[in-house]
Amino acid sequence: MMDLPLPLKHMEVMKEDKANASEEVYQQLAEVYDPELDQPLTELGFIGGVDIAGEKVTVRFRLPTYWCAANFAYMMASDIRERVSELPWVQKVDVLLQDHFHDEEINEGIKHGKPFLTAFPDATESLDDLRETFRVKAFQARQERVLRWLKGKGLQEEAILEMRVGDLEQLLKKRPVAKQVERYLNIRHERGLPGDNSAEAFSHHDGTPIDPGGLQMLLNKASSTRLSMEFNTAFCSGLLNTRYGKDQQGLQNAALLKDKTKESTGVIEA
Amino acid sequence: MFRTKSGEEIFIIDGHMHLWDASPENVLNKYGQGFIDCFYAYHANLSPPEYVWDEATYAKYGADRMVKDVFGDGYVDMGIFQPTYLTDFYKNGFNTIEQNAELKNRHPDRFILNGAWDPRDGEKGLKDLEAMVDNYGIKGCKLYTAEWKGDSKGYKLTDPDSLRYLEKCLELGIKNIHVHKGPTIWPLNKDAFDVADIDEVATLYTDLTFVVEHCGLPRLDDFCWMATQESNVWGGLAVVMPFIHLRPRYFAEVMANLLFWVGEDKLTFASDYAIWHPKWLVEKFIDFELPEDIKQEFGVDLTMEVKKKILGLNAAALYGIDIEAQKQKLKNDGLAIAA
Repeated sequence: MMDLPLPLKHMEVMKEDKANASEEVYQQLAEVYDPELDQPLTELGFIGGVDIAGEKVTVRFRLPTYWCAANFAYMMASDIRERVSELPWVQKVDVLLQDHFHDEEINEGIKHGKPFLTAFPDATESLDDLRETFRVKAFQARQERVLRWLKGKGLQEEAILEMRVGDLEQLLKKRPVAKQVERYLNIRHERGLPGDNSAEAFSHHDGTPIDPGGLQMLLNKASSTRLSMEFNTAFCSGLLNTRYGKDQQGLQNAALLKDKTKESTGVIEA
Repeated sequence: MFRTKSGEEIFIIDGHMHLWDASPENVLNKYGQGFIDCFYAYHANLSPPEYVWDEATYAKYGADRMVKDVFGDGYVDMGIFQPTYLTDFYKNGFNTIEQNAELKNRHPDRFILNGAWDPRDGEKGLKDLEAMVDNYGIKGCKLYTAEWKGDSKGYKLTDPDSLRYLEKCLELGIKNIHVHKGPTIWPLNKDAFDVADIDEVATLYTDLTFVVEHCGLPRLDDFCWMATQESNVWGGLAVVMPFIHLRPRYFAEVMANLLFWVGEDKLTFASDYAIWHPKWLVEKFIDFELPEDIKQEFGVDLTMEVKKKILGLNAAALYGIDIEAQKQKLKNDGLAIAA
């Protein structure tokens, strides 16, 4: 093999570094979720592209419609900034929300690391309550998918309510439900619910036990929450495709990453 | 009128339709353009390809096309006009009661004309509401709580001014309050689709019926649990319907939830014309059946009797339409194409 002249060799190395850097950024972005849909932005196609210039990263971010709620957009934009900033080599992160009725205010706010209340002086409270409302919905939807699978396997309520976290760990080996169980265990962990093997596998989102005989009602309710999220995801994906076309850079990058993300969506497609 | 293969006639009331003008001449600013672009994405994304229009036609299609699409090709017997003003986005408004009334005058038996109010219009708005009753005899109003008005970016039904308007509706005999919920920046820290305010006023005003347009989507769960507790809260199926084409499984699950929580007597069919064309919606809905596992799980079924309620009987009850008498009136107006 012919040896490359030095300057070119240097460029090859730079190119590889850049590819690695970009992959690292996408890995971080795969951890940012749309709070309403409980899906990573990378899989939703919300990331329009990433530009890296030395230690500065610019993330282009776009949404399914011009009117998508500004508060959720702000949450996602600030999560993008926070996650990408975790990379040790990153000194500066710009988030560029595009084609949105409040893109200027949001980009400006995120650029200066302003909390929501500072970026939108008319707001009277932080977004914490809103975020929590949707994390609870995410918990219910993730739990419902596992419960539905167990019921489909013919397990009765009593047996289901006796299950322990250790039993769930065993289910991680079962392919059809492994993703759902992993996502459920992750959100249990996130919410600080007991993680030891002997802990009860199923409870309400705040850890209170499910009353005997109460499983069906819990499932009925959780199934409409899960359905709302999936329905909304289908709608949003369709609108994003209509807006930006199917061959988007963001979706391609997401596809490359799919096997590498810690936690894939695991939505059961209709 | 839709005739089934066995010859049965099904009377159809389209609960939500528009005659809008979003042509470049009428668009006031980038928000008006953003609004119609968003509507177009809904249309292009969920319609079968042969029903997708070009953007210029979509921006302004005119009364003749509407009448032909809806009553000629689309099987619809009567349609409810739900005005949407958006005067901060469009010079002459997006579709106002005055514009809708012109078409009703041409085909008086085909349209139910609804009004609109906005609590931020104060005393003048209350007078305008009286005039709508005097001039057009309205029995329903469409509310758009996400509408911008100057510095205000939306309102809630529980605002003191909203309560005054609801009182006025009771006084004037306006019984049906159609509420659209949509994204807004206000209140900033809350979920724009939150239906809690409808819950509260539905309890306060049990003589009014609140039709939640789009069934609270994308907050179907919140809507269902509220509607199941309030007998005067209904669901309007605009935006739910078109999923029957691309996502039939989701459509089935949503319908099962609605039948289970809200009930077959409180749901109304709607195309949201011109976002979607009623022809394919009606055809697919008549043929649609819930999958067996969903029927089992929820203990509900979408039988032809239930479909007839959703397609027309429920809305007829809401607006006091005598279907047999109405059929006679419509028989010879020449708009419907013989099926």
